[in-house]
Amino acid sequence: MSQPVILKSNPHGINLILDKNLPFAELKREILKKFKESDKFFRNAKIGLSFEGRQLTKEEEYDILELIAQNTSIEIVCIIDKDELKDAFYAAKIKEFEENSAGKTGEFYKGTLRSGQVIECETSLIVLGDVNPGAKIIAKGNIVVLGSLKGNAYAGAAGDETSFVAALDMDPVQIKIGSVIGRSADRGPLFAIKNRKKVMEPQIAVVMEDAILIEPIIKGLFKR
Amino acid sequence: MSEVIVITSGKGGVGKTTTTANVGTGLAQLNKKVVLIDTDIGLRNLDVVMGLENRIVYNLVDVVEGNCRIKQALIKDKKYPNLCLLPSAQTRDKSSVNPEQMKKLVDELCEEYDYILLDCPAGIEQGFQNAIAAADRAIVVTTPEVSAIRDADRIIGLLEANEINKTHLLVNRLRMDMVKRGDMMSIEDVHEILAIDLIGAVPDDEQIVISTNQGEPLVGSDSLAGQAYMNICHRLLGEEVPLLDLDNKNGVWSKFVGLFKKN
Repeated sequence: MSQPVILKSNPHGINLILDKNLPFAELKREILKKFKESDKFFRNAKIGLSFEGRQLTKEEEYDILELIAQNTSIEIVCIIDKDELKDAFYAAKIKEFEENSAGKTGEFYKGTLRSGQVIECETSLIVLGDVNPGAKIIAKGNIVVLGSLKGNAYAGAAGDETSFVAALDMDPVQIKIGSVIGRSADRGPLFAIKNRKKVMEPQIAVVMEDAILIEPIIKGLFKR
Repeated sequence: MSEVIVITSGKGGVGKTTTTANVGTGLAQLNKKVVLIDTDIGLRNLDVVMGLENRIVYNLVDVVEGNCRIKQALIKDKKYPNLCLLPSAQTRDKSSVNPEQMKKLVDELCEEYDYILLDCPAGIEQGFQNAIAAADRAIVVTTPEVSAIRDADRIIGLLEANEINKTHLLVNRLRMDMVKRGDMMSIEDVHEILAIDLIGAVPDDEQIVISTNQGEPLVGSDSLAGQAYMNICHRLLGEEVPLLDLDNKNGVWSKFVGLFKKN
């Protein structure tokens, strides 16, 4: 075998094909080298890992996982055995994990989004700035705009209609949550500018009975 | 140290070329060495507004392709010897030049001039990319109309993406009578939407049309637009100049009436 360690991607993560005969310490070094080379590519990825070509003991598996966790930014979600049934099971697990984490973790974006600029996010998104008309933010989780939302926002982009969109100043062209779309009132653009709110009033948009409902965020709103 | 300023807007017809001509001439009046470059290849008209069309021998594309030296293509202004124009080519298109060539050209001009003003074409395609490639500052021209403001917003985003962070807003063709009636956005409205440094506002003045047709920029003249452009030049040089009162459109007469109203 020319290469003692080979990385191969599959739909759920990576196949690690290992040399049978190499001493384990040396193998670990090779694995580390491989992952370091591709760390940029996998950056912060959440993947499933499976082993091939060599029977590993539990300790050895644990050793390898430690090695990856400490030296790279890759997050190993689970270990997959070469088994069709288990394969499907873990695939479902990973999918579930991704879906759940969308609403629970978030990313920050600092700066104002101007017309034509688009941000897409696998998790929830917090924007520290304005979202101008013509700009678009898309998140699989929730969206929070600490500024004026005057453009388009699409929360729950993977279909989750329990997601919400909140903004300190809510004046969007369009809001989409899951598959429900709400749009701004029909009024001339000049009217909208002339009658803009002088004081920020934080509001939150949610889906209720297949429509987008926008409510002011007042004291006690979340206790109900 | 020389400065390279691109005058851009996204939307067409908001006054990029007029602004380039007037700001360029104004800076020349303030004793700066200025060169204006028309980057609108195929639709040149800065030369017409400057009244220099009849002097064109070589153009921007000739320089870039090496058919002539820069000196041969530069046209000296009629009034100000420290003001030059590098005209655009009329028979070619935007793809005749690329951003690297523009940078090289501008670098060469930097050695001799204080200010290099680039008149940008409308749109965000190759012509725009060429025009902004060498710039370190930008004047974004807009009128108080929603369509122009949307485009200006997009342009500001693109300028930021290209690491041009010194952007100035110029609100053009403002009509105070309409603003007062609530039929037009005010300077404050536009400034608040676009949220970049405001370098000035120019009123909608028929003198502009007259001066354009004569091929003589009106900057520095007594007209309101002429004063507004001069103020913008001063601000570009870093001076603090208060915003012009665009209200006193009728000049002496309204001041006279105003005196009575106060009492």
